[in-house]
Amino acid sequence: MSEVRLQVQNLCKTFGITKAVQNVSFNINKGEVHALIGENGSGKSTLTNMLTGIYTIDSGHFILDGKEVHPKNQVEANNEGISIIVQELGTLSGLTVAENIFLGHEDRFVKFGIKNTGAMNRQAQDLLNKYGFNRIRSNAMVDDYNFEDRKLVEIVKATYFQPKIVVIDETTTALSQEGREELYKHMNRIRAEGNTIIFISHDLPEVLRMSDTITILRDGVYIDTVKSSDVTEDDLKKLMVGREDTGDYYRADYGEDISSEVVMKVENVTVPGLIHNINFELHKGEILGFGGLSESGMHEIGKACFGASFDREGSVTLADGTQIDSIPTAIAHSIAYTSKDRDNESVVMNQGIGDNICLPSLDKMKGALGLLSDSKMKAFANEYAKEMSVKMVNTNQFVSDLSGGNKQKVVLARWIGKDSDILVLDSPTRGIDIKVKQDIYQLMDKMRKNGKSIIMISEELMELIGMCDRILIMKDGEINGELLRSPELDENSLIAKMV
Amino acid sequence: MAEKTNAISREEELKKLSTMSTIRSLLPLGGLIVIFIIFNVLTEGRMIKNMPLVLSPIYVTLISATGVFFIMTMGGLDFSQGSIMGIASIVVCVVSKVNIPLAIIAGIAAGAAIGALNGFFYVNRKIKSFIVTICTMFLFRGIIKYLTSNAPVAGSAKLVLMNNDTLKLVCTIVVLVLGFIAFRFTKFGMHLRAIGAGEKAAKFAGIRTDRTKFFIYMLAGAITGFAAFINVIKVGSVTSSGGNQLETQILIALVLGGMPISGGAKARFQSVVIGSLLYTVLSSGLTMMGLETQAMQLIQGLVFLVFVAVFADRQSLQVIK
Repeated sequence: MSEVRLQVQNLCKTFGITKAVQNVSFNINKGEVHALIGENGSGKSTLTNMLTGIYTIDSGHFILDGKEVHPKNQVEANNEGISIIVQELGTLSGLTVAENIFLGHEDRFVKFGIKNTGAMNRQAQDLLNKYGFNRIRSNAMVDDYNFEDRKLVEIVKATYFQPKIVVIDETTTALSQEGREELYKHMNRIRAEGNTIIFISHDLPEVLRMSDTITILRDGVYIDTVKSSDVTEDDLKKLMVGREDTGDYYRADYGEDISSEVVMKVENVTVPGLIHNINFELHKGEILGFGGLSESGMHEIGKACFGASFDREGSVTLADGTQIDSIPTAIAHSIAYTSKDRDNESVVMNQGIGDNICLPSLDKMKGALGLLSDSKMKAFANEYAKEMSVKMVNTNQFVSDLSGGNKQKVVLARWIGKDSDILVLDSPTRGIDIKVKQDIYQLMDKMRKNGKSIIMISEELMELIGMCDRILIMKDGEINGELLRSPELDENSLIAKMV
Repeated sequence: MAEKTNAISREEELKKLSTMSTIRSLLPLGGLIVIFIIFNVLTEGRMIKNMPLVLSPIYVTLISATGVFFIMTMGGLDFSQGSIMGIASIVVCVVSKVNIPLAIIAGIAAGAAIGALNGFFYVNRKIKSFIVTICTMFLFRGIIKYLTSNAPVAGSAKLVLMNNDTLKLVCTIVVLVLGFIAFRFTKFGMHLRAIGAGEKAAKFAGIRTDRTKFFIYMLAGAITGFAAFINVIKVGSVTSSGGNQLETQILIALVLGGMPISGGAKARFQSVVIGSLLYTVLSSGLTMMGLETQAMQLIQGLVFLVFVAVFADRQSLQVIK
C-alpha cells in the first residue's frame, strides 16, 4: 500500500542570501493526501514551485516513481504527471471553459492546422459532466462564471489527465464551504485512484481532516513527518512555530453581557440581487459575526454598513442619527472597513506603507499654512505600523512587496490610527498564517474591551465561534438565524442554518 | 535565525531597488545636461547664445504640462490639450477686443468647459480617458477649423504688446509653484497619487474618486485655458492649426521627464520642469541643426518610443484608465 511515489532528496533553493529551502528530504507515498504545513515563508510553496517547474532547483533531486524529474515549466510538469491548483485565480479570462481546460494541450484537437473547436468543447463537456459540474458549459467564456465555479474548472484542468501528483496550494482559503466540500470530494477520489495529493493549507482542522500524512517545514528546514491520526492541532502548532503557543488563540471569556447601547442600526437594507431586507443592531463593545456561504450575501453586508454598496435601499443609522450612505460619511463618522478583496479594495498596492496608513487621516497631518507635513505623516505612519508590528524596512516600502498578513496589518494600522469606533472586518484572516491570525484576534479582543464595536464577516466558522458575541447566519441574502456566544456552540449548529 | 537573514537580504534588495530608482529619477536630468552639451557642440555654441529664443516655446508647455501631470498621476491621459489650447486661444482673441483681464478669465472658462466635458464622459459615462479625449480632440479641432476657415482669428493689438519674457516667466512660475504645493503638500495631491496607485482601494479609503477625477480634467482644461493667454500674446492670432499637437508635446515632455506612464505614487513634480526643458532643448536643437519638420516628428517619435520602452516600470504598469 504505502509505496513511495515521490522522493525529495537534499533539496535546496536560495534567493539571494535567503535560504528558502535548506537541504530538505522526505518521501511521499502513493494514494495519500500529504499535507505540507508551516508558517508563511517556511518554504512550502517554494518546494512545490520547484516540483511544478515554476522555480529551478539549486541542488537536490525529485525522484518520481524511481525516475528523476526536472521539469522546466508547467507543461513539462504536466507531461511528467504533475499538476497544480493555485491559491488565486488560475484560469485565463477571455478564453472559454474548454480552452482553459486544454490550455497547452490544444494540439490534440488540431487537424491539418485547423483546431476542431466542436470536438474540444464536447470532450470538455464530457469531463465537466463526469466531475458533476454539469451546470458549467464548456463553450461559455470562463469570465461568465464566478470565482467558485472557475476554481471548479481549474480542478478539472489539473486532474482530468489522471496526474500522479496534484499540488493543491492554499486553494481552500479562497473557497466557500460548499466549494471546499466539492474540492474535498475530488481529493478523496484522486487518492482512491492511487494517486497522490500534496496539500498546502493554513487551516489546521482541515489539514487534520483531509490528509493522511503531514510534513512540517519551518524557515525552509524540514522538521518532521507525522501521521495525521497521531497528532492534534496543538501538536501541529507547536511543530510549526517551534515553541509553546503563548496566550490564548481566540477569546477566552464566556457569559459577558452585551452592552444595551446601540451604536449602529441597520434597517430594511436591500441591495438588489445580493441582500434582502436586512435588519440588525450593533451594540457597543460587541463583536457581531456574520457567517454563511460565500454567495449568501454576507460580504455585501459589510459594504452596505460602510456606505459602499451600489444601489442600496433602506438605512444604516448611527447612535447620533447620522445616516451612512457614502464611504466618506462612514469614515468621517468613525467607521472602518477591511475588504475580503484585500489587494484591490483594502490596500493601495503601488504606494508606500506610510501613505496607505495616513490616507484617511490626512486632516490630522496639517502643519504650517494648512499644508501636509511630511514629518507628521512619517511619525504617524511609524507609530501605527509599529503598534501593529508590520514587518517592513521602512514606511516608504511599497505595499505590493508585503505578504498577505502584513498587508492586513497595514490596513488595520490605518484604521487604528484613525481611531475608528466601528470596525467592519470582512474575512480579516483570509490566507494569513497562524501567528498573524493570533495577533489579529488579540487586537480584536483588546478593541472590544476598549468599547469599540466590531462586525466580523467570515467564512471560517471556527473563528466566528471563537471570537463573536453574537453570530448572524446568512442564507440566500437574508438573515437565517442568530446564535449567541457559548462554549457549546459548534460548527454544525452554524452549518445547519447556512444550508 | 533564518528569519533574520531573510530580513537582511530583503533590506539589501530594497536598497538595490532604491538605488536603481534614484538612478532612474536622475536620468532625465542627466539626459537634459548631455543633450544640452551635445547640441551646443554641434551648433558651435549657437544654442547657448540664443537661449531666450530656444526657450520661447517652453512657457506654454510648462503651464499645460502641469495640468496633464495631475491627470497622468491619477492614471489618465488627455489628448485633447491641443484642441483646448486652440479653442481657448480663439476665445481669448475674441474677448480681448472687449477687455484683457476678461479675456484671460474667458480663456480659462473655455478650457475648463472642455475639460468638464472630458470629465463628464470619462466619469459619468465610464469611457476610457484616452478614447474620450481623442474624440474631443477631433471634435474641437473641427470647430477650430470652422472658426478659422476664412481668416485667422486675430486678438486685440494690445495683447501682442504685452509679449515680454518677464510676464511669461512670472505667470509660468506662479502656476508651477501652485501646482507643486498642491501636488506635494495637500490632500488633493495625496488623493491623486492614491487613485493612480489603486483606484478601488483609494475609494475604500474614503477618497471621492469620481469627483476628484472630474475635477482634475476640468482643472487641466482651465490651466491650458490660461496657457492660451500666454500663447496668444506670443502669436497674436489663431490659425486652424492653433495648438496643434500640443498634447503630444506635453506627453513626450512628461515621459522624458521621468513620468511613469501609469501614474501613481512614483510621479514626481520635477518631471514637468525637466521634461519640458528636455523636450524644448531637443526640438529647438533639431531645428537649429536644420532638420525639416517631418524629420523632427520622426525623431521625436523615436525618442519617445525608446524612452517609454526603456523606462516604463513594467511592474506597476496597469491599463491606462
